[in-house]
Amino acid sequence: MIFLTVGTLFPFDRLVKAVDSGIGEGMVEEEVFAQIGRNGYEPKNMEYVESLDKKAFDEKVKKAVGLISHAGMGSIAMALDHNKPLLVMPRLKMYGEHVNDHQVGTAKKFEELGHILVAYTKEELPDKLQMLKHFVPKKRETQVEAVAERISDYLKQIKRA
Amino acid sequence: MAEKRMKICLAASSGGHLTQLLKVKDVWQGYEVFCVSSAAIVREKLERFGRTYIVNECNRKHPVKSLRVLFQCLSISVKERPSVVISTGAAPGILMCLTARLFSAKIVWLDSIANTERLSMSGRMVRPFAGLMLSQWPDVAAKYKDVEYAGAVI
Repeated sequence: MIFLTVGTLFPFDRLVKAVDSGIGEGMVEEEVFAQIGRNGYEPKNMEYVESLDKKAFDEKVKKAVGLISHAGMGSIAMALDHNKPLLVMPRLKMYGEHVNDHQVGTAKKFEELGHILVAYTKEELPDKLQMLKHFVPKKRETQVEAVAERISDYLKQIKRA
Repeated sequence: MAEKRMKICLAASSGGHLTQLLKVKDVWQGYEVFCVSSAAIVREKLERFGRTYIVNECNRKHPVKSLRVLFQCLSISVKERPSVVISTGAAPGILMCLTARLFSAKIVWLDSIANTERLSMSGRMVRPFAGLMLSQWPDVAAKYKDVEYAGAVI
């Protein structure tokens, strides 16, 4: 099962419609389950819900062999945490999909680092869906302790002042 | 020697911003803390750190809503008078920083990892008066004289 999620804030009809028609044209062999967002476009070729509670959502992610999503950090972090291949499509300001185009930058950066696949337009979707089958995401390294230490040092500095 | 008692405000929109802020929770161990976020669903998660206030979510497309959140943050700042605000944004985060600043709070800003090419809009707004500005991308930090890179939390 491939799990398609549009995130918690708003629907993302452009992506859901593109995947839906793709399934209709035989682009995807796997079954796809979609979380479409409140008042999102209702697909004809996949099972869907508007939203899922955290537990149900986590279960879908764990069961999925691949993920499709917008390029939100929550979705990317979730895919990395569960080590699942993720294909994203960035939301664009010009379609009213987000307040600005920062998702494009996020997508480019994480694609460069080998953590995700990106379809920037719906025309790119068929090829990228094929690639999702064999994509092995690169593991992500973080520096939580170093960041915490920097902030702690600052707090010690202002305490002394 | 008596140590100055610091009260820390943790301020972040629910979702990715809050997730990133909570990664560095070791920072505020042992300090008095209160939290400000924007969705009731996170209240339980935050209450183990301290008093928790939930303000409305808002963004740049809704100035009237944002004004309402500004007043909510102002009333929290007046009541609590934090010494430090630690925030990852977004709009509720910056509004808490701005109102707390009126009472001389020091600001620590950790720009969200989603801002991969330049500092977020709220980050740019807070930069003139932040005490510590961090970006999670070295090439973004390099673009600004007073923004540091210490690493990524996600």
